[in-house]
Amino acid sequence: MKNKSIVTSRARAEKPTAGAGKVTIRQLPTGVRGLDDILGGGLPEYSFNIIAGTPGCGKTTLAHQFVFANATPKRPALYFTVLGEPAIKMLRYQQQYSFFDEAKLNSCIRFINLTEVVVEQDLNAVLAEITRQVENSNAGVVVVDSFRTVLRKIAARNGDSEMELQSFIQRLAMLLTSFQATTFLIGEYTESEMRDNPVFTVADGLFWLSQVAERNSVVRKLQIIKLRGQASVPGLHTIRIGSYGVQAFSRTLGLGGRMTAARSGRRLSTGIDELDTLLGGGIPEGDSVLIAGPSGTGKSALATQFIDAGIRQGESGIIAIFEERPEGYTSRAAGLGLNLTKPQKAGKLEILYLRPLDLSVDETMQEILDAVKRTGAKRLVIDSLVGFEMALAPGPR
Amino acid sequence: MRTLAQSLIAEERRAARDFTPASRAAFRVCEKLRAPLCTFAGAAGFRSLLSRALVLARVEAPLLAGVQINPDGAFQYSPEMEAQFASAEAAQAGAVLVDQLLGLLITFIGEALTLRLVHDVWPQTALKDPKSTGK
Repeated sequence: MKNKSIVTSRARAEKPTAGAGKVTIRQLPTGVRGLDDILGGGLPEYSFNIIAGTPGCGKTTLAHQFVFANATPKRPALYFTVLGEPAIKMLRYQQQYSFFDEAKLNSCIRFINLTEVVVEQDLNAVLAEITRQVENSNAGVVVVDSFRTVLRKIAARNGDSEMELQSFIQRLAMLLTSFQATTFLIGEYTESEMRDNPVFTVADGLFWLSQVAERNSVVRKLQIIKLRGQASVPGLHTIRIGSYGVQAFSRTLGLGGRMTAARSGRRLSTGIDELDTLLGGGIPEGDSVLIAGPSGTGKSALATQFIDAGIRQGESGIIAIFEERPEGYTSRAAGLGLNLTKPQKAGKLEILYLRPLDLSVDETMQEILDAVKRTGAKRLVIDSLVGFEMALAPGPR
Repeated sequence: MRTLAQSLIAEERRAARDFTPASRAAFRVCEKLRAPLCTFAGAAGFRSLLSRALVLARVEAPLLAGVQINPDGAFQYSPEMEAQFASAEAAQAGAVLVDQLLGLLITFIGEALTLRLVHDVWPQTALKDPKSTGK
């Protein structure tokens, strides 16, 4: 059995502001599409954050996007590298992304290699060097990549290493916050290392990145484990790395906190007069309707007529399809006497073909929401829900 | 916060019966904030905040280049600075430093908590309407 869903539209709410005399914490843009929504508006200024996860999850790319979005000549970003990936390799690969702006290098973004200090000296020297660089540059953003390497220096020793570690992190956090820097420490960690870890205790924000396998698909996920002072969207969010860098797809699709538009009470014609009569005038605006039935009973035809009726009344529409290509869908509609080509050319209709491999539900929904925003669509058809589900969870290949 | 900074400096001078130059009184204001700030931020935190305030203040008051902060958070003055303590320029530099320190506190914990903290240290200082002390 195939199911089809018809959905119509909604609106957005304002953020609350701090009360009189209370501190207002400014939120910085992350430069990562979708992430600001997940964080509850942006990253708290002067916060001390950790980006943790296994290799290949996008930790460094995420940090670079934040750096490029916020660094200025007056408040530059300092990117400390420690062993791991040297700056020259970072620059080679990161410039492939569209957010990379070479004009910002050295004027707004400075790479500093801490390897020798870490290898040859102690943690006090590391802290002294970071202090010196931050003081001299008036840095507004600081990244240490990989911070895990710095910590291994302590772990390699015996005795009161845990106390030393805690003390070092606390002093580093206080220093960077006092100097009004927003900080990211990047490190490779596994989930088992999260418990009782002093680094995570001191951090204001903890971003956990992972790769999750679902059948043959592997999807990158982001979880905001903690974020002091503001409500982030809980749970695992899909992230994707493309030519733009990292993009995040909130589980709430950025719709959290938005006001639902007041119900107009209007009825939308299905395009079939007799059915409209049976429905008391049509489908109530804002409703989601499931059309269920066996193959060949006219579910797609009914959905297409619903879209066509809207277009004839000047309402844009979206058809999201998974099982056949747009040309085939358009041609089948033509067989029913419905012209979908003309409204597509006029920008009143978009037929979205959503069948790339490994696309997650959040990404699919984002594609649909983007199209709704782009066209101002009032009517949406998802054809079909079974096709949607199969596209999201491909079987073994 | 400049008005409040000057009030606190004047308070410190009054406590010393005006024998202390204004610049000295300004540094004394910073030192008096050490106890509550150590409670909130630890000794390292106090030093970091004071260091940041000093860096910011030097932009407006270059004379403060002759002031350093020891690892324990205490001030250390160059001979040139010591020689100029009684000057109007030093008095102005001291006020800028206190102003920056208070400004940093407002940035981090807000005006209401900053004024409460200041009031705990200088209960006699009339803060009146907090808005009148704004930057």
